[in-house]
Amino acid sequence: MPVHDRSLRLLRGAALTLIVLFFMFPIFWIAVMSLQTNSQILSLPPKLVFSPTLSNYIALITGRLSTSVGQLNIAFMHNLFNSFLLSSCSVVLALILGVPAAYAFARFKFRLGEDMAFTLLSLKFAPPLLVLLPLSLEFQQIGLDNTYAGLIWIYQLITLPLILWIVRGYFEDVSPDIENAYRVDGHSWFRGFVKIAIPLAGPGIAAAGLLSFIFAWNNFIFALVLASGSKQPVTVGALAFVTASGIQYGQIAAAVVLSIIPTFAIALYAQRWLVEGLSLGAVKG
Amino acid sequence: MTDKIKDLAADFVNGNISRRDFARRAGALGVGAAAVNFALGGAVTQAMAADFNWQAHKGKKLRLLLNKHPYADAMIADLAHFKAMTGIDVEYDIFPEDVYFDKVTAALSSHSNRYDVLMTGAYQTWQYGPARWLVDMNEYLKDSSKTAPNYDFNGIIENLRKSDAWSGKPGEALGSKNAKQWAIPLGFELYNISYNKRIFDKLKLEPPKNLPDMIEIGTKITKDAGGAYGVSVRGSRSWATIHPGYLSAYTNYGAKDFDVSAKGMKSVVNSAQSKEMNKLWVEMIQKCGPKNWATYTWYEVAQDLGAGRCGMIYDANIIGFFENGPGNKESGHIGYAPFVPNPKMDHSTSNVWIWSLAMSSFSHQKDAAWFFIQWASSKNFGIFGGVKKQLVDPVRETTWKDPAFKARLDKNYPGFYSAFEKSLPDAKIYFTPQPLFFNVTTEWAAALQRMVAKEVSVDEGLDKLAAHIDHEMKSAGI
Amino acid sequence: MSETVIDGQTHPARVTRRGTVLPYLLSLPALLVCIGILVPFFTAAYYSLEAYNMAFPAGRHFVGIGNYIDLFTSSDFLHTIAVSMIYMGASVILELLLGLGIAMLLRERTRINNIISVALLLPLMVAPVIASLIWKLMTNPNFGVYAWIVNGLGFTGFRWASDPSTAMFSVVLIDIWVNTPFIMILLLAGLRSLPTQPFEAARLDGVPARFVFFRITLPMLMPYIITATLFRLLSAIQEFSIVYGMTQGGPGNALMVFQVRAYVDFYQNTNVGRSAAILMVLWAITFVLSKLFVNQWHKMRERNHAGA
Repeated sequence: MPVHDRSLRLLRGAALTLIVLFFMFPIFWIAVMSLQTNSQILSLPPKLVFSPTLSNYIALITGRLSTSVGQLNIAFMHNLFNSFLLSSCSVVLALILGVPAAYAFARFKFRLGEDMAFTLLSLKFAPPLLVLLPLSLEFQQIGLDNTYAGLIWIYQLITLPLILWIVRGYFEDVSPDIENAYRVDGHSWFRGFVKIAIPLAGPGIAAAGLLSFIFAWNNFIFALVLASGSKQPVTVGALAFVTASGIQYGQIAAAVVLSIIPTFAIALYAQRWLVEGLSLGAVKG
Repeated sequence: MTDKIKDLAADFVNGNISRRDFARRAGALGVGAAAVNFALGGAVTQAMAADFNWQAHKGKKLRLLLNKHPYADAMIADLAHFKAMTGIDVEYDIFPEDVYFDKVTAALSSHSNRYDVLMTGAYQTWQYGPARWLVDMNEYLKDSSKTAPNYDFNGIIENLRKSDAWSGKPGEALGSKNAKQWAIPLGFELYNISYNKRIFDKLKLEPPKNLPDMIEIGTKITKDAGGAYGVSVRGSRSWATIHPGYLSAYTNYGAKDFDVSAKGMKSVVNSAQSKEMNKLWVEMIQKCGPKNWATYTWYEVAQDLGAGRCGMIYDANIIGFFENGPGNKESGHIGYAPFVPNPKMDHSTSNVWIWSLAMSSFSHQKDAAWFFIQWASSKNFGIFGGVKKQLVDPVRETTWKDPAFKARLDKNYPGFYSAFEKSLPDAKIYFTPQPLFFNVTTEWAAALQRMVAKEVSVDEGLDKLAAHIDHEMKSAGI
Repeated sequence: MSETVIDGQTHPARVTRRGTVLPYLLSLPALLVCIGILVPFFTAAYYSLEAYNMAFPAGRHFVGIGNYIDLFTSSDFLHTIAVSMIYMGASVILELLLGLGIAMLLRERTRINNIISVALLLPLMVAPVIASLIWKLMTNPNFGVYAWIVNGLGFTGFRWASDPSTAMFSVVLIDIWVNTPFIMILLLAGLRSLPTQPFEAARLDGVPARFVFFRITLPMLMPYIITATLFRLLSAIQEFSIVYGMTQGGPGNALMVFQVRAYVDFYQNTNVGRSAAILMVLWAITFVLSKLFVNQWHKMRERNHAGA
């Protein structure tokens, strides 16, 4: 019935508008704040009409900030670099470790298989502090204090379980027929793995990698407890904008905008695979 | 830097010419402000260098753990002179205050030898000292071969020196005979009123005379000021809520935190005097405090003052100093007043927070570290920091009496100096030292939050708090 | 190789190959890295059996389950359990409902739906701790735009995170904002990968929409729902940055969830033993939850693979 259809469509449109408003408004507001000075931000009613300024971005990129309390050095660009380094290396390492393991769990039914899979998943539900607090007391002895390597290792707690879980599901639903045919032709299983299985599971790997990257990038507590000085990522670095002369909301907003851009760019690029890659029961209709 | 400028600076330091002459002649030499700074710092450092072998530890490297704060900025700005004077190389790690002390705890508890000198407050030394993580600097102070003759430790305000010293015995008073000097004062803050002159003038108000008066004035401001509320104080679930204005008022009403006797320590937060003061404090917050009081930290209080959202604050006097500076909406409109909360008292009993320097027990360069601590707490650096940088509320009487310092304050911050002078006597730490300080004060803040939210009555809240504290102390064996 | 055939489609089955060393080789590196991380776990477990306070190094001694007894007899800790459960329950249920709803709305592969679904990923890319800071500003009654709007709508005096009765609401709201996109994208992937035949058949037969949703869509979507729920439950009960950033566990004890309490006990009260015990209890809860869910997930997969 046309009337029914039209009102349904209106309802749907209204619902979607509300949803988009709810989720997008803070982002929009952050972007607006990044172009305002602190005294413009701290005013009510909120200013929508104002003369924008790029001073926040300039302060972040050049690393110097003038406040009423003097000049401050900001290490934001370095923090951004740290975030990038830590997140990408952790994801790469997790892929190297996790994809073969996921393949093994998916293709083979071997003794201890399920137990090992569960143990690896258990990384996800170990409360971070449970691992971090003893580690913070002992990291120096192991010689990993304030090193990128130490942090990337610990970041596996975030990246590995997710990759394992999603990629395994994907492998399980990809037919092994092609691989087997390939192998029957005389190629080693490794070639089969690399040439057939991985490309077929591409979307799943891409999706898992992207999500892991986002979670690693957003991580706060690991870096808070274990990162020192020069190794801090942007999440901990953002606290540096809480200064004695006041919280520099303008710079925080600009920092958020700058740190969303890399992840969002990657997501845009990979979005095609994102939805496809997360489909576990990939039964094509 | 040319010799002419160096000579000029030396002349000034030796008292041969006045500051104005110095500035004029430096200008005539075509020297800019930064270079003047540099010359001045260098000259005073040189003056210090006489009579003592500052080069004894040349070539060593120190690492500092610093909190992101203007006092740290002052030290960093002058590091080049320290390096020139001693030949010691200095590096530092700097963390925002929100996470700073967690980082210190992590570094010290893991016995890391990464840091030699760290910034701390007195309360933290009550944990770090007994845990044997800090060096008792009395051994250095008493050793004339290691301490410069013109260092003049006693030139630091006595209450501050003593507040940074504790024997380690729970309940024993600070600054006692067998107290260990866990930290050396660098810069401090005391608690009085900073208020918005515009709002006060508009409503024809005077700064409050006592706590009940403050509630009345605050309520009037909330009602009539057209958008601003009366009194801003901290309220977050943290020790930082208890130690500023709150504890100063608490003490002024005659209340103590612990009763210390031969039997041990007993919490008396539920004494009659405490209940009297707390009823007023809770009422003040409910009637004219910030709406989001329970999330208010130093930053929110400062923010509200600087943006004209509140009529006054009862918190650190240096907040009033910072918020009167350029870049704030209310710049130039902040007034200062001493505050005696108890109508029956005739003087204030302000608590203090002292940013200090401590030496890690695990440092491999203790003697060199001592040189740094000396330098940063010296007369000359005090003047440099107070006049040229933002080390306001300096710890030495010489700095306070320095005419350039006084002139700077009187010019741009009228009233600040006299308010400080009136609040200084009897300004010291009024807490009873014990290692569970943070546990106790955080629970205290939580109890205050419950009382303000009317979850419990003031009487009941304080009774429960006292019982909880006693229980915690007992389990820890105190 | 055994296969099953449903509706003319072949579903792959797992290869059972016993006696090869290959699977172990493939999964061993991951396991080794994992073991390195398990060492601090056992250290923490040991700490939980000691009365260990960093400020009293001389008083450190073994107390067996003493810490645990202290915890379970203290009303503060029972309150922590309650508050964590409420936070976990409220956020996950609301996020599931909302995420499912949005995924259903965006199900069709149209241009605009794709754009919206990517745009909705943005909140996920804002670190929760920073989201907390920004929401703190937006709900500040003096400057915050949300506070201004809510006031304008007539709810004057709404206290957001500074009142115990509304604090939980405020942090759950932030959690929903940050994490619903995760569930949405997962469920959207699931929806788009469902076979079209059952839906076409149902449409031809004139089956009402509600029936289709509850009897066809939902059961087929179960593995996704379970995956999303599992990850979100585990994250929510361990939530730290949002709560700590907003109120450090206050006002009062209103938001003292597990990890915030453990963090405060470790860094402020320097009570390592008690902090470790709290974390062990948290771990036990998450362990049980995960086992339950993983079993359920396997059952679902078997059922989907074996046919209706």
